[in-house]
Amino acid sequence: MHDIEVENLNKSFGRRRVLKKVSFSVNKGGFLSIFGPNGAGKTTLVKILSTIEKPSDGRVVISQMVLGEDATEIRKRIGLISHNPLLYLDLSAYENLEFYGTLYGVSGIKERAEELLDKVELTHRRHDMVRTFSKGMAQRLAIARALMHKPDILFLDEPHSGLDPHAVDILDGLLESIRGNHTFIMVTHDLEKGFSLSDSVMIIEDGKIILHKQKDEIDKDEFRETYRQAVRGMG
Amino acid sequence: MLALRQLWAILKKDILLELRTKEMIVSMLLFVMLTMVIFNYAFEAEKNDLTTFGGGLLWVAFIFTSFLGLNRSFVHEKDEGCLDGLLLSPVDRSIIYIAKMLGNLIFISVVQIAAVPIFTIFFIRYPYYIYWSHMGPFLLGLVLASFGIAGVGTFVATLAANTKRRDLLLPILGLPLLMPVLAPAVIISGAMMGGEVSARAAELVGTSMQILIAYDIVFFVVIALIYDYVLGE
Repeated sequence: MHDIEVENLNKSFGRRRVLKKVSFSVNKGGFLSIFGPNGAGKTTLVKILSTIEKPSDGRVVISQMVLGEDATEIRKRIGLISHNPLLYLDLSAYENLEFYGTLYGVSGIKERAEELLDKVELTHRRHDMVRTFSKGMAQRLAIARALMHKPDILFLDEPHSGLDPHAVDILDGLLESIRGNHTFIMVTHDLEKGFSLSDSVMIIEDGKIILHKQKDEIDKDEFRETYRQAVRGMG
Repeated sequence: MLALRQLWAILKKDILLELRTKEMIVSMLLFVMLTMVIFNYAFEAEKNDLTTFGGGLLWVAFIFTSFLGLNRSFVHEKDEGCLDGLLLSPVDRSIIYIAKMLGNLIFISVVQIAAVPIFTIFFIRYPYYIYWSHMGPFLLGLVLASFGIAGVGTFVATLAANTKRRDLLLPILGLPLLMPVLAPAVIISGAMMGGEVSARAAELVGTSMQILIAYDIVFFVVIALIYDYVLGE
């Protein structure tokens, strides 16, 4: 069963067309990695899927709900981890989690926040302002923020960007622990990481899908070469 | 109930951030005080009776002070990238608007509470508090006009937050939209600070109150309904 369905999705900013007739689907429990050069439209695609941006045209169905008709319900089921942690710098780690937990109507906020702070190894810094955190620590807290409401679908926009190896291990461990019941779409430039985590891969170039296959249907070297050509093409 | 908890969470977060950073209140207080000191010297308030101009002077100071604060009302969301976090959450956009608007109203009111007594000492020969019956209409006019400024100002600040020249856009769009608030506000404040109120002035104050109430209701409802589009574009 498809958890995410995208049909003929278009997005324009003024005259610039960022996404051109993008269509694909991801099964429930699937993990899709999206690759592509800078400016290809990957982040815009994730922003549309996570309801932050509105599409110019096309149809998106998430968990059997149509984007634009059930946006609030969709938002309850999705989480986003991006290279921007979406955290308030002058709130403490706990206050940030409490704030987002309240927005999502999480019950037992305190317990859930404590549990996640423990998982991302930030319990000892829970009352410190995020302003005092390193990039890696803020990103670990961003992971906790995104998981606060136990989303079914996770969008990951370059989640490993700026993370130290320890934080990468924590993120990968958390992703691994929730694999199976969750659906993932990850945008990344890290070929090895994206390939190892996912069960299907996609390359976007200039707003169009130029490759979308199950991982076992494609040779890794062939995929690497296609990706290199796409990056050169946009460069 | 969830909507009320979400509203309170956003409002509490804005107040907490302001208490910690003091970025908005301090600049607003400094600006309003400076404006009054300059007016005091410019109009030689000690020699001249400025009662007639009192309402105008008061609202010139308040409107630009409010813009100063409104310009910063989305600064944490924009500069720290947290607007996406708000948009991502299952919060009705009208709740975001009401929470941000109430936050701005509180900050504007705090500045007014500090500024009105000083303004009265500087400029008014027959301060409204000598006439206790004037206190109610004066405060009501202040609250209604501030509600309008916070309501429309939050809307324009949201539009401006998505542009590079947000400092410029707020007064350019905001001032024309707020003229229907400023004119009645000046009339009410002026009449209430000027000693005895004639029957004609009392009638004018009543009409001004009605205009403010109508403006506040219409703009509040319309903006709350269209705020989703404002945030989305």
